[in-house]
Amino acid sequence: MIKRALRAVGLVRLVKYTAAVEQQKKAELRARKLAQQVEEVRADSRGWKAKAEEAHDQLKKAQATVAESAKRAERAEKLRVEAEHRLALDGKRKVDLVALETQLEESARELAFAREQLMAIEVKLDILEGAANVLDGRTRTVSAQRRTPEREPTV
Amino acid sequence: MAGPEPCRLSVGHPSVNPLSSQSDGTGVVPPADPFVSLVLTGRNDDHGADFKARFFRTLRFNHRELSARGILHEFVFVEWAPLSDRARLVDMVFNAIPELDPSVCQWYVVDPRYQQELSLNPRLVYLEFLAKNVGVRRARGRFVLTTNCDVYLGRKVLDAFARGELKSGVVYRAARHDLKLELGEVILDWPQLEDPLNLDGPPRRLKPPFMTGATGDFVLLDRMTFHEIRGFNEIYRVARIGVDGNFIVKALSCGVPVVDIGGPVYHVNHRDSYHLSRDVYVGREAEAPWGNRRWHSAGVIYVNPPTWGLSHAPVRQEGPHRWRVDFSWDAVPPLVDLKRIVLPAARLGGPEPGTYKYVSRS
Repeated sequence: MIKRALRAVGLVRLVKYTAAVEQQKKAELRARKLAQQVEEVRADSRGWKAKAEEAHDQLKKAQATVAESAKRAERAEKLRVEAEHRLALDGKRKVDLVALETQLEESARELAFAREQLMAIEVKLDILEGAANVLDGRTRTVSAQRRTPEREPTV
Repeated sequence: MAGPEPCRLSVGHPSVNPLSSQSDGTGVVPPADPFVSLVLTGRNDDHGADFKARFFRTLRFNHRELSARGILHEFVFVEWAPLSDRARLVDMVFNAIPELDPSVCQWYVVDPRYQQELSLNPRLVYLEFLAKNVGVRRARGRFVLTTNCDVYLGRKVLDAFARGELKSGVVYRAARHDLKLELGEVILDWPQLEDPLNLDGPPRRLKPPFMTGATGDFVLLDRMTFHEIRGFNEIYRVARIGVDGNFIVKALSCGVPVVDIGGPVYHVNHRDSYHLSRDVYVGREAEAPWGNRRWHSAGVIYVNPPTWGLSHAPVRQEGPHRWRVDFSWDAVPPLVDLKRIVLPAARLGGPEPGTYKYVSRS
């Protein structure tokens, strides 16, 4: 009865009161811990968000790199094909070059030979020209000597 | 058609008895073997002004210096085509140089018809190298030096003779130092010859690869090799210039090396010399008295006929040590003998023959 009366005026026994205060303290402590945990979780969440953004950026970069690499690979392939083509062409050109060098040497030899022959021919022409001039002079002299008496008046 | 005989030399042979050369009918009776024969040619035609005086001065000097060193020598003088209205040099030389011993002279007077019949260029009034061949063919010395009438032998040349260390099968050349024109009037001796102030320009050097440059003033070779080479070119009678250098090309082609003897000879400049007057005919080369100076003298050689040096010409003795080379068609080679112009061989280690240089023929 007393308990009911006390309860009706809002009074409780000390034991209960003490237990309630203790419970309140525990609740407050828990509430503070929870608030702290919430704060930590919020902080973590912000960190993760930043990391997620960073990861996103890196992903974008990686994707760009991959695209660039793909392009490069494509270009490298083209170059490889071109190089192989050129190599083949160079091989042919080397063969052509050797043939041209041989031809050039042969031409140089023939030119030297032709020039040697030309020298001999020009020297011989000099001699022939000289002889022709000498013979021409002698012929004219003889011819003039023969003509002179014919022009003399006959008696 | 058979070509000319190939060039085969027995280089390195010993000196031979000069009497063996008598079989070719040159008419020479040698008293003894000189060490060196100096082959000279000229005539009393005032070539280069005052030719006689220059010749006699040089002859006196060379004879004196050779004799002073005890070098057995002879002068083989070829008076080629002497002018009919002038006295002959042979009739003046011993009066002009009383100390000249006639026994060291062989004097050949060559009938002027050879000049007339052999010339292939009327502007060449003196076939100098054919004349020298007449002397080379008849020289008796172990060595034969073809030189000119106004060339003084230098001290080192004389020393080389005196040492007697000349080798067979080697062409010896000497550079020519030209002395000033005004010195032509004075009697020269060593102080004037060797004074650098008397030089007309820087001293000449022999020009490689053929060691040419005034070659006609000094070509020294043992007689036998000279004969095997058959002297100077007698086929190309169109130019005078380059014939001496052409001999060097032929010698090299035959495997005969060309060597500098070690010292110069001296030449006094004179009027009408090629050295002084070569530029007068620029642009009108055909009128030059030496012919076309740009002919291919380094690019071709020749094979003279076995009758080179007018060896088939009749030779008459006119007096002691003087002979007359009379005219005979037997001694005259054909006007044209083209197969005797051939290409030189390039010898291993020797210089390459000359290459073609274009020269306008107009």
